[in-house]
Amino acid sequence: MLQFDEITIRNRSRVLVDRVSMNVLPGEWHALVGQSGSGKSLLSRSAGLLLPPNLSAEGSIRLGDTELTGMNRRSIRQVLGRRLAYIFQDYQAAFAPFRTIGQHFSEAIALHDKEHLKEARTRTAIALESVGLEGSLAGRYPFQLSGGQLQRASIALALLFTPDVLIADEVTTALDSVSGHRVLSLLNRLRLDTGCSILFITHDWRHVRRHTDRIAVMKEGRIVEAGGTHRVLDHPRHDYTRQLIAAAPVLTRLPSGLQEVGG
Amino acid sequence: MLRLLKETQTSLARKLQLGAAVIFAALLLLVYLYTAFVLRHDPTLTDLGIRLQGPSLNHPLGTDHLGRDVLTRLMLGGQQTIGYSLLALAAALLIGTAAGMVAGYRGGWLDRVFMRIADGFLAFPDMIVVIVLSGLLGPGLHSMIIAIVMVKWVSYARVVRTTVITESKQDYMLAARTNGLSPARMLTRHLLPHIAGQVLVLASLDLGKVILLISSLSYIGLGVQPPTPEWGAMLNDSRPYFQLAPELMLFPGLAIVLVVLCFTVLGDAIRDLYDVKKEVRG
Repeated sequence: MLQFDEITIRNRSRVLVDRVSMNVLPGEWHALVGQSGSGKSLLSRSAGLLLPPNLSAEGSIRLGDTELTGMNRRSIRQVLGRRLAYIFQDYQAAFAPFRTIGQHFSEAIALHDKEHLKEARTRTAIALESVGLEGSLAGRYPFQLSGGQLQRASIALALLFTPDVLIADEVTTALDSVSGHRVLSLLNRLRLDTGCSILFITHDWRHVRRHTDRIAVMKEGRIVEAGGTHRVLDHPRHDYTRQLIAAAPVLTRLPSGLQEVGG
Repeated sequence: MLRLLKETQTSLARKLQLGAAVIFAALLLLVYLYTAFVLRHDPTLTDLGIRLQGPSLNHPLGTDHLGRDVLTRLMLGGQQTIGYSLLALAAALLIGTAAGMVAGYRGGWLDRVFMRIADGFLAFPDMIVVIVLSGLLGPGLHSMIIAIVMVKWVSYARVVRTTVITESKQDYMLAARTNGLSPARMLTRHLLPHIAGQVLVLASLDLGKVILLISSLSYIGLGVQPPTPEWGAMLNDSRPYFQLAPELMLFPGLAIVLVVLCFTVLGDAIRDLYDVKKEVRG
């Protein structure tokens, strides 16, 4: 569904992502893991042609039958939000502070589905209700919502047009573990309902183990290991993958049945 | 307790100031409307038989050296001075905001060119640049307005550019891009509300300065030309008669002082309204 083929991203002085190939299949939950600065976010942003102006990308990125690389600005705007959607870590800053939640939804509908602009209110309410929020929240400003509500609203907005692929860039990093689990369970339900694929960028191995179908591990701009979640987690082949798994906090059971955080 | 009292007094004094400024602004508006519809005397018709007369029922502020009614000319002059100041300010605001938004958002060579132009204008005091430009373009109303716009747009553009550069890095702008919004839409719908408050505050504080600038230019003969009534030009016309009829200079001078004071107080009040830090300090 979303296919990266020999993608290289560089600035003037060095290569940041080096000939990376990866394929996110239809309907699957694909994790991209690696330490900070390994090039995960750059790779994901290159799909939407969202790289900063000082970076250039080579290679091919296809969304279904559509070649994304080399698209002009007008064409990529038709894809973004409609077929390829993003949600980010800082959900509190993801909404413009001077616009209501409903205005953000109406703006997206006006852009991608002008014919149904009259139904924007109803659609917004339905979208908000699909993530467990009240439709009346549409009239509120971002600062009037809690962090959890904003995160849910951003997911509802991202999935408004049932995109083919949703890129979730460290969406649980700023959340506590319970909230993170709730958000990912919600994403999983919506993925099953809509059939969209999820490219999930994360540091958290607990979420990877629980939710994802396949994993790609990135190190210094290259994918060093990729495969099914259980194969990579249980039988890692690359030293770096083993180090990452070993460095992740795990929960171990005590004889009493209580759990203890261990190294 | 003393501190609280002091703060209350300060607050009360500010309120009184603001109240007076608002009342004065309302009065100006009434005068403006009155002048637009009702005039007892022709402001440009000369009558040497009644020149330099003192206040009377027919001429409440007397007549000038050409026998024209001072009050009529003062009211019409206010229309000219304040009207052209608002026009010049609005033009500078629009041009500066648009230029700052584009330069800040696009960056690159466009931004560098803009910054060098801005540095060039900011290297000299406003008054000097305006006098030179008015002199080059020739005396007259249009030249004066163009000169003021050319000087004033830079400060707005710089403020807007800085805000756009800061806000463009915020996540909501990235989120807007990922939703497929065009740059024009992002600038007008998402960034403009951030900018509007700051720019309006700056403009309200600038209005007094522009009024002074227009009056000064007219005073030295580079602005509004006779016989059109304008406060600066009225001051200039009355100069030779200062000892004989000092009130001829007093009335337009006083009008300039009061109007500039009024708009400065109003500008301060608007700035305080947007100053979140002040609330925190308080």
